[in-house]
Amino acid sequence: MSGVVIYLPQGAAGAGGEPRGDAVTLRLGPGEVARFGRGSATSPVELRLDDEAISRLAGEIRVTDDHWQLSNLSTTQSYLVENPEGAGEYLRVPPRRAGAPIPFEFSRVVLPTRRNTTVAFQVFAPDHVYLDPDGLGDQWGSRTVTAYSLDETALYFLVLVALCEPRLRDESPVAVPTTPEIVERLKSHPACGRLTARAVSSHIDYLADEKMRISTPTDYGPRREARRNGKRETIVGLVLRFGLVREEHLALLPPRPGTGAHERETVR
Amino acid sequence: MHGVAGTSGPGDDRTELLPRGYRIGDWEVTEPIGAGGWATVYAGRFAGDGAADGRGAGEPGRGAVALKVLPTAGLAPRQARKAAETARREVEFGRRSSHPRLIRLLASVVLGEPDLPVLDGAVVLVMERAERSLRDLLDAEATDGGVTDAGVTEAEGARLLAEICEGLAHLHRSGWVHGDLKPDNILLMADGSVKLSDFGLATELTGTRGTHGYAPPMGTFDYLPPERWKAPLGEYGVEVRPSADIWALGIMIHEVFASGAPPFPGATPMARAAATQEYAEGRAPLRLDSAVPPFWRALAADCLAPTHAARAAHTAESLLARIATDRQATEAEPTVGAGGDPALRGRRPWRVSRRTSRPSRRPTRRGRRTRVALAAVAVCTVGAAIWPYAVRGGASGSHGAARASGTPGATAAEATGRIRVFNAEKSCRDRTDRDPQCSLGLAIDPTRPYTIDNVVPTRVWHGDELAVDCLLPQGIPIIDEADTLSAVWYRVRLPRGATRPTAWLPAVRSKDHPSVPECPRPAPVTAPASAPAPARR
Repeated sequence: MSGVVIYLPQGAAGAGGEPRGDAVTLRLGPGEVARFGRGSATSPVELRLDDEAISRLAGEIRVTDDHWQLSNLSTTQSYLVENPEGAGEYLRVPPRRAGAPIPFEFSRVVLPTRRNTTVAFQVFAPDHVYLDPDGLGDQWGSRTVTAYSLDETALYFLVLVALCEPRLRDESPVAVPTTPEIVERLKSHPACGRLTARAVSSHIDYLADEKMRISTPTDYGPRREARRNGKRETIVGLVLRFGLVREEHLALLPPRPGTGAHERETVR
Repeated sequence: MHGVAGTSGPGDDRTELLPRGYRIGDWEVTEPIGAGGWATVYAGRFAGDGAADGRGAGEPGRGAVALKVLPTAGLAPRQARKAAETARREVEFGRRSSHPRLIRLLASVVLGEPDLPVLDGAVVLVMERAERSLRDLLDAEATDGGVTDAGVTEAEGARLLAEICEGLAHLHRSGWVHGDLKPDNILLMADGSVKLSDFGLATELTGTRGTHGYAPPMGTFDYLPPERWKAPLGEYGVEVRPSADIWALGIMIHEVFASGAPPFPGATPMARAAATQEYAEGRAPLRLDSAVPPFWRALAADCLAPTHAARAAHTAESLLARIATDRQATEAEPTVGAGGDPALRGRRPWRVSRRTSRPSRRPTRRGRRTRVALAAVAVCTVGAAIWPYAVRGGASGSHGAARASGTPGATAAEATGRIRVFNAEKSCRDRTDRDPQCSLGLAIDPTRPYTIDNVVPTRVWHGDELAVDCLLPQGIPIIDEADTLSAVWYRVRLPRGATRPTAWLPAVRSKDHPSVPECPRPAPVTAPASAPAPARR
């Protein structure tokens, strides 16, 4: 359990989209709390959202177990928590609700403003636990599990499978697809129609930094691109070595044009 | 501790993989025992040559065995490789390691069943058969809810943990880390002895100085040390060090004495992992159940030091030494009794407690070693009052006789020596105001349990010099705050006007060794009518 990451994009706190400050990243460990709101000398906040419609102390995020809780300290406004990958999945946290548990690994917390705009920040909860596929239904509390668990329905997992595909199909022992190749490969997947190269890169970063905490030997490489390539290769090597991505996951990828017959039977 | 999922689910279709009577090498399957992780375990018995005439039934492998089946077929190639890797670790470990505290690997067999794809290529590990696991024992106790005395007694818990520690010390000495230590992997044999099992994640220490190894990124939530949640995943897996096993041992110490309850609060393993992390980051203190006896609480706290660096000071070896010392102290009592009055033999030592400053005759929960505090026994610091000579191994009358130069000319009416009272609590030694909190008691009858009913009203303080007549080498054994045990008592003179002319000072309450003769065995003193019978076992 390493906690959650809160990310406030650059300028997001500014009214009308004008840049009002740098991007903010907060890391909270289990049991830790971050307050958000407009803030003042008497109501200090860890996450400052500079909009007059937002209370000085608008709410609180508390890390609990493998997830987090949202307290809405406003007396009038409801907040929305969206799952950006959930095809419209969201939940509404009404005013004065204390400690609403948030079930999403990725969340976008949206606070209304007076000008038909919103202020939003993201919360990542990479600690969500998924049980190993074998032996479900047994007493899982005391069983040995893979300590790095991945959501096999998440976009990052699709990106990961696409990264591993050439190696899984034994097509190339070394080649790891580039970001444009992944965008191309996933283009026909219903969830990936608008997947950008930047999104693919951030999914890879999220996997490497938050999910698997990969230590890359090439981390000190001079060029960013070289570093990223090193990271990709390390990820692919590790997830295959430790069975986090397996042959059966190839079925998650959209069919490859012209190679449909090549598709391997999955065993499970 | 367990989710609502209950016991074996319908998903375990691999449980019935092998029919009864299925032959594996020299053994045949008798019944399934359980399934977990990558393996299914069956009970088996020897069916090879000589099985019929029962020859050599006592030899390893000739009796009951456990057959751990790791199917590789029916799995995708990469999963098969993972299962094979688990098997390889176990076989490699089993081949290179043999110790009475480790489950012995008798053979490994690869099944060839071309007609049964699910079995073809499965690896079967043939191992010694245990009766049950520590998990079974703890579960039985948890189910029982402490209603009956089915729980683990302190003595039994101490033995189990000492044996676990022996296995661990051997493992670490041979350069391995277990990597998945938990009650499920601690097996109890038919004779009650403990053996460590499941070496699927066992890792050989490498590194330049053999300080760490690399294991697959797997483990059991409740037993993972806090640093594992932040450990990077490297090319060879996650770094594991012996301190990870020490952490798991700390968790188990708590579970053994707290009816299976883990030390960190929470309803789910995730909640407990989060609580572990809060503790490790210094935002929450370690709160150990008061049911854990003081010695084991201290040991658990050391095992559960929040960082690898802090934990590294406590090796399995050093913990084992501490356990041995403690057990010697608590088990020395039959030796002390030996040769003395048979009526006293096997008598439990009475502990004077530093933790109870009030009179207390309440026996501890479930008949654990009874501790009795004297009225206003001083609150003492740890580690003080080391009895300067050993009384173990039969403190006999020679003790006094050897020194009995005696005082020439001493008459029966005269005391033969002086003895200074020693208080183990330093703060009490520093004050002279004779605070009641710092007073110490004297017994009426040194052969009866040392309870408040058996104490004279006269109190003594550190530094008091008492006139001493003689010593009784075989009184009721007394353990002081520093776990020093002595059955020796001194008969001392009480001041004029006291209810009795003499009383008895436990030898642990002085650092002096006055040269006095041995006392005649005192006549039993009847307890005051008002006092209830004190003896509670």
